[in-house]
Amino acid sequence: MSAVTASPSEDGRKLTIHIDGRFDFACHQAFRDAYEKPPRPKDGFVIDLGKTTYLDSSALGMLLLLRDYAGGDNAKIRLENASSDVRKILAISNFTQLFDI
Amino acid sequence: MLGHSPSISVLIADDNMTDRMLLSSIVRRQGHHVLQAGNGEEAVKVFEQMRPHIVLLDVMMPVMDGFEAARRIKALAGEALVPVIFLTSMSEDEALVRCLEAGGDDFLPKPYNQIILAAKIHAMERMRRLQATVLKQRDELARHHGHLLNEQRVAKAVFDQVAHSGCLGAHNIRYLQSPYALFNGDLLLATSAPGGDLHILLGDFTGHGLPAAVGAMPLADVFYGMTAKGYGLAETLREMNAKLKRILPPDMFCCAALISVSVNRRVVEVWNGGMPDGYLLRQSGERLPIPSRALPLGILSPERFEPTTQFYSVEEGDRIFLLSDGVIETTNHDETLFGVERLEAVLDRNQDRDRLFEDIREALQGFHGESRDDVSMVQVKVVDTASLPPVALALDRGQPTPTDWSVNFEFRAQTLKRYNPLPFLLQLLQEVQGLKAQSGDLYTVLTELYSNALEHGVLALDSSLKRDAAGFAQYYQWREERLRQLEEGYVKVGLTVQPEGRSGGRLVITVEDSGAGFDVASTLARVNEGVAYSGRGMKLVKALSHGVSWSDDGRSARVEFAWGAEA
Amino acid sequence: MTLAHLDLAVLAALHDIMGEDYPMLVRTYLEDSQARLTRLLEAQDPKTLRDSAHSFKGSSSNMGAAGLARLCCELEHLPLAAPQAEVCALREQINSEFIQVRAAFLTVLATDAL
Repeated sequence: MSAVTASPSEDGRKLTIHIDGRFDFACHQAFRDAYEKPPRPKDGFVIDLGKTTYLDSSALGMLLLLRDYAGGDNAKIRLENASSDVRKILAISNFTQLFDI
Repeated sequence: MLGHSPSISVLIADDNMTDRMLLSSIVRRQGHHVLQAGNGEEAVKVFEQMRPHIVLLDVMMPVMDGFEAARRIKALAGEALVPVIFLTSMSEDEALVRCLEAGGDDFLPKPYNQIILAAKIHAMERMRRLQATVLKQRDELARHHGHLLNEQRVAKAVFDQVAHSGCLGAHNIRYLQSPYALFNGDLLLATSAPGGDLHILLGDFTGHGLPAAVGAMPLADVFYGMTAKGYGLAETLREMNAKLKRILPPDMFCCAALISVSVNRRVVEVWNGGMPDGYLLRQSGERLPIPSRALPLGILSPERFEPTTQFYSVEEGDRIFLLSDGVIETTNHDETLFGVERLEAVLDRNQDRDRLFEDIREALQGFHGESRDDVSMVQVKVVDTASLPPVALALDRGQPTPTDWSVNFEFRAQTLKRYNPLPFLLQLLQEVQGLKAQSGDLYTVLTELYSNALEHGVLALDSSLKRDAAGFAQYYQWREERLRQLEEGYVKVGLTVQPEGRSGGRLVITVEDSGAGFDVASTLARVNEGVAYSGRGMKLVKALSHGVSWSDDGRSARVEFAWGAEA
Repeated sequence: MTLAHLDLAVLAALHDIMGEDYPMLVRTYLEDSQARLTRLLEAQDPKTLRDSAHSFKGSSSNMGAAGLARLCCELEHLPLAAPQAEVCALREQINSEFIQVRAAFLTVLATDAL
């Protein structure tokens, strides 16, 4: 079972979401809750993929939903600590053009 | 008292009347309905007729003992759970073993303890109801699944109608796709452009089932429609992206690889957004990867989507190979991925390109991969256009047709940068009934003249650069750069249609550019000698039209087409 | 006060369960047991003997005739090789015990009727 946890920064301006385990369709609701429930952070989002073992196309879709929620083309979202496997998936789909990785 | 079970019917079978009477009273006092039997045979008969919820069987009975009766009752019950509790005064361990072996669910020792009996009945009844719920849900699930399969069947039938205008059956195309690939989001389309160029799309929608399939239809519509009109990859991509962006929810998108194979110009144009590497397999054995450089379709808004395509030179016999990620992601029971390395090893080992799919399939089997529904592959061989079936002709709808007109266009720098006027011009010409049969040739000629005017004339690119692979890449790179930086220049296109005889006519096309021109005489001489790539285009134009001539300075070309008067 | 051959606590529970059918239960037991006892006394082969003893044990224990049930249990579990004398002895004991049990039940029924 993967775990999705959200931790706001001390000043509340940034929200970090950690994904432990597989980032797939099963995380759908948890991921949405993680970014929809807290107040919108002014300095954007950080997705910590340090413990993420795997990313599939539904995960890419979830990132797009977050981007849409966070302002679309003006969204500030950074993806951090991706493993080489996860990085490869992000590279093939060229998501580097949409997110800070 | 124990939390009480709802009232159920209980069958009590014991040949000992005392015990039976006593037990019946106990059970009745607990609020249940009692059926009685005096031996095993009677028990089975009563069960068959009355179908009690729970059965209490004495082990030792005449005619048929409890164990045999239990076996028969369980058989009659089928899928439903009918708890059987054996009544016995055997010692504990012995009793348990024999009862379980006979298929019983529990046993009740003598002397009867009514509290224990109540507890057992309560527990058994819960189990019985649980089983009944499971069966009901299973049946409901099966029903829904049946509906779903039917919906998919209908959706597929509708889609097949949309997709039928394609030419996947052309003999230079080989492909492998599961019939249910569509419902894994895999899409494979192929069709010819008017000039004979072959456009192929291999796509992979996110998600499964109907949502994935539903996006495929508008996409196919755009792909076929625009290709048929003569639009190039870039315009088609822009339109497909805009459409998907508009109609799909934000988390859905379509990875796609598109190729345009132009046998005439010996060029393959490619675009890959999110699909695994495709491969250009040259006759020489050289293998070039076609990697994903762009975001998949349906993500970027139209303002931000700028499709950049790559060009490769090809010879007859070269092949382009595209595949979906089902191949790469096939796993074996160790959860290892088949992966790109293994695939490339197969490509390296494969000698006979016609056997490529079989080799890959064998490799997948040897890898003990679980077979997947989303393994899609397509292979296109570059062949002489003449060997391909002709493009379908538009029917004569009996409409009035313009037979005597002329028009002149001047496409200037800002237009040349982003707009491809060819589909529009072709559309105009197709209004003329007599020209419809020559649509393909018309388009090819127009494309050739326009490309020459734009690339050699306005952009001043030297086509002799395209002689080798390095020069080829350089050529297209410069083309993109110069086009982007273009400030001045024009291409003028003039069309004149005149009737001839009763039902014949003549079309004159003139194309003029603002470039420096070229030495017509010597270029034509080289063409006749059969040398130089740049001359090939000219040869083609000559072959397809009814006459071509250039102005002395090479800046203007004039081509004629005619259609006959009936004999 | 415990009647030597019947467990009063069991009888009370039976009375509670059966209510006004209590006498009928006792009468059924006594009739049934008579037949069962005869079968047991006249049994020729070991299987019939064991089965009757087992059956008698069951109903007797339900009815609170613990002593009788114990004797039947002994007879049921006698090894096949046991001498015939032992078998006969046990059968005799069961017979006499039942007579006692029967008398006790009739007394109970009589006092109940009051």
